[in-house]
Amino acid sequence: METEKAFYERLEGKGVSRRDFMKFCTFLTATMGLSSSFVPKVAEVFAAPAQRPPVIYLHFGECTGCTEALIRSMYPWIDELVLEILDIEYHETIMAAAGQQAEEQLHNAVKKYKGKFICVVEGAIATKFDGAYGKIGGRTFLEIAKDVIPHAAGVICIGSCSSFGNIPAAKPNPGGYKGVGEVMGIKTVNIAGCPPNGINFVGTVVNYLLLGKLPALDNLGRPVWAYGKTIHDQCPRRAHFENEEFVEQFGSEEAAMGYCLYKVGCRGPETYNNCPVAKFNDGTSWPVEAGAPCIGCSEPQFWDKFTPFYEEL
Amino acid sequence: MAQRIVIDPITRIEGHLRIEVEVAGGKVVNAWSSGQMFRGIEMILQGRDPRDAHHFVQRSCGV
Repeated sequence: METEKAFYERLEGKGVSRRDFMKFCTFLTATMGLSSSFVPKVAEVFAAPAQRPPVIYLHFGECTGCTEALIRSMYPWIDELVLEILDIEYHETIMAAAGQQAEEQLHNAVKKYKGKFICVVEGAIATKFDGAYGKIGGRTFLEIAKDVIPHAAGVICIGSCSSFGNIPAAKPNPGGYKGVGEVMGIKTVNIAGCPPNGINFVGTVVNYLLLGKLPALDNLGRPVWAYGKTIHDQCPRRAHFENEEFVEQFGSEEAAMGYCLYKVGCRGPETYNNCPVAKFNDGTSWPVEAGAPCIGCSEPQFWDKFTPFYEEL
Repeated sequence: MAQRIVIDPITRIEGHLRIEVEVAGGKVVNAWSSGQMFRGIEMILQGRDPRDAHHFVQRSCGV
């Protein structure tokens, strides 16, 4: 109870009321597909964490957009929540140490939490010329991955780069970039998306802390609760598709009326994600709602498979 | 005799930045900065539909 009280006081100090927090927990619980009876339990995971698993967060061939999506856009205080439930040992974007001290921190964390830490990876791994296309502290991404990942209890890939290779792996893939699972020959939990919705990462972690196991995954390693349905099947413009009311040109009257974007290239029918439900930026909007066709960013090789983006599927 | 200091990785930024400085007599006399990652987005763009370009290049940096 003491820790819970202190938790709510800390939130208050950031201008977040208990009510706001419960709203977030309800939203998260619903997005995860759990019944509303789980809401207090989800709140407890944050407010009185029974365990805080150590996390080593690695950055390889990426743009840090996934980190940004996670720690900034959803709720201004989501970073606080993530830090409550996770013991982040190494994360280049948010850590104070740099250079040699940062490298030491990584080395020590791997040693101290061998076999116990969760490795979160953002970014693809370059493989051409022994991985010479990307280095940190003089070591290639490939060397670091081989050094750290075998000691992790589990690997969560955040974003399509670490999951499937994504943009650095787009043809002609100059650096021979590949996803983490492929390079290491292991199974990873893939929070796909470019960037993924922060809620999909948080929900997966909360699921693990709440139920003591990872959520069910599809054949591409993506949690089914978030990636179980196509964009098309959850799309608020779906009725326009059924009625054959299509946007044929951007800036047209049909576009202004919010008609279906299928004919201007929407990849919604072949893309599995929960964007229409979870939305981005504090539940504000998502691409199709803003009039932009889905580019299919949670699917493997979408940069090659789905391009040119503005041609009909 | 100049002393060389290497700071890699530079944290709290996007990308993989390496800074090397040469210090002599308490002063920086020379410095180099280098990006340590190459994805080749310019090469990836070649031959593609120009309407797709913004989707690619906006992912150079996500910060």
